[in-house]
Amino acid sequence: MVLNNKKVNIFLLIIGIILFIFLPRFISGYWVRVITTIFMYAVISQGINLMSGYMGYLPFGNAMFFGIGAYVTAIGMSKGLPFLVVVPLAAITAILFSIIFGLPVLRLRGHYFAIATIGISGALLSVVQNATEITGGAMGTTLPIIDKSPEITYNYFYLAMLALMVITTLTIYLVIKSKFGFGIRSIKANEEAANSMGINTTYHKVTAWAISALFTSIAGALYAYWMSFIGPEEVFDVMIAVNTIVIMLIGGAGSILGPIIGAFVIELFSEVVWSSFLEYHLAVLGITIIIIVFFVPKGITGTIADFVKKRELRLRKKVSV
Amino acid sequence: MSLQMLINAILLGGLYALMGIGFSLQWGISGIINLSYGAMVILGSYISLEFFNLFHLDPFISMIISGAILFVIGAAIYRTLLQPFLKGGIVFTIILTFAVRLIVENIILKVWSADYRTIRLTYAGSNFQFGDAYIPLIKFLAFLVAAVLIYLTYLFMMKTKIGKGIQAVALDKEGAQAVGMDVEKMYLINFALGTALAGLTGSLWASIYSFSPHLLGPIVGKVFIIAILGGLGNIWGAAAGGLLLGIAETAGAVFLGSEWQEAIGMVIMVSVLLWRPYGLMGKKFFG
Repeated sequence: MVLNNKKVNIFLLIIGIILFIFLPRFISGYWVRVITTIFMYAVISQGINLMSGYMGYLPFGNAMFFGIGAYVTAIGMSKGLPFLVVVPLAAITAILFSIIFGLPVLRLRGHYFAIATIGISGALLSVVQNATEITGGAMGTTLPIIDKSPEITYNYFYLAMLALMVITTLTIYLVIKSKFGFGIRSIKANEEAANSMGINTTYHKVTAWAISALFTSIAGALYAYWMSFIGPEEVFDVMIAVNTIVIMLIGGAGSILGPIIGAFVIELFSEVVWSSFLEYHLAVLGITIIIIVFFVPKGITGTIADFVKKRELRLRKKVSV
Repeated sequence: MSLQMLINAILLGGLYALMGIGFSLQWGISGIINLSYGAMVILGSYISLEFFNLFHLDPFISMIISGAILFVIGAAIYRTLLQPFLKGGIVFTIILTFAVRLIVENIILKVWSADYRTIRLTYAGSNFQFGDAYIPLIKFLAFLVAAVLIYLTYLFMMKTKIGKGIQAVALDKEGAQAVGMDVEKMYLINFALGTALAGLTGSLWASIYSFSPHLLGPIVGKVFIIAILGGLGNIWGAAAGGLLLGIAETAGAVFLGSEWQEAIGMVIMVSVLLWRPYGLMGKKFFG
């Protein structure tokens, strides 16, 4: 190839980000909200991708960090703290939880880790539902509403979520390319071997989960302020994790752009399904999952990479003949 | 805790035990975390409801039919959806069984709506006295049937050729293959047996309690706890896990309030996972 691939990629990414910054001027408020949700799911999915796609640990209960972020924000803001102070608090709380739970739970392998995270998430949900004095209980809690027109507010959250998605993706990209990232990927390949090569697997696993918790909780914090009302069932919903796992699979597990592509495909698709098959949207979603697993098990990015590789091989054969 | 509460807890635990065994077998032996398990249980309840409405068939009889229907459904799901992806790791089987759950849930909502349904049996109100406690006849019958079914499952696993084959495959897949066993067939039968047990539990559940699609999620939560408590793929372990969960939930409702019920189960499960990941009664080689 004549062009330097990396430079082209960076150039394309910057163009893409600029396009997305100016996109709200050309679409209706409804679609601005839909795309904000897509950014949010992409962020959560990146967190799951780091854990599952790169490290091989499926964090099925990752929605708990989303819930923690949302609730710390709600409680902090009801005490009168400004949003920009509450967000770091939410992130620190989520990181603390990920370390406290991660140290014992990340010793578990495969199935067991996935289930233990569901259990912790369920227990946290119950705590939030029952600690009525602090969290407002099962009825949910409200946040201060921004004193601006809805359009400006929605644009603000659109840009904030876009920024979060870009920062998350860049951070995870840098993490994966670093020495630390090699450690993470070696855990997926063979944890015993990684351990015996002198990689501190516990440290790697807990840190990876903390990074995952950091971004998921900020997404939760933004979501809470955006919605200005949150309920425990809604922000601790296992469906958030399921959705983002599907997004990761469709985009391509273990690829940096996979979650973003997957989020766009799945959310735009379910937008269409919601509006045209209201009564059958569960079944359509189920059938879609099955079709995707059967026909693009490597996800969109994986399938494209395979295609490119095959084509290059073919070209090389032609040249050599 | 009074005698009455202990009896209630044990009667509830018997149903939990039967419910947990199918899930535990599917997870421990076939290696599939079946998120559609709750849907299968409720499907069994609705099959009994249909037979009750159409032919006035008692759920204790129609449970045979729902067990048979769900055996076939389980075998079909395993053969078409799950078998090709067993090597793909847990992400695929979890997502696929979740897709099945969504489809079944949608069918149930469409056919029977989201309302709570009950089967009103003529002898539903009768009970007999034991000491100073009352035992509802129908719950007692359901407990007995569940106990018999658990014992039959045990006999099937220990005495029949297929059951022994499943045990062998669970112990050592390569070894079983080397001596000429059809490993895939064993996994298939085991998985279908698990869904059949789900359907049987659903019918028993329908004879006592009301049911609706809202129970799908909570049931999956409960079978997780039961299976983890007992050790995966362990029949007596799951039975004990079911009884334990029944007692823990009842005791928790008394001492802490019923709103903490779910949290108690989850906390017990996570502690068991950390302390003895192979279950209270499990052996290390399972899972």
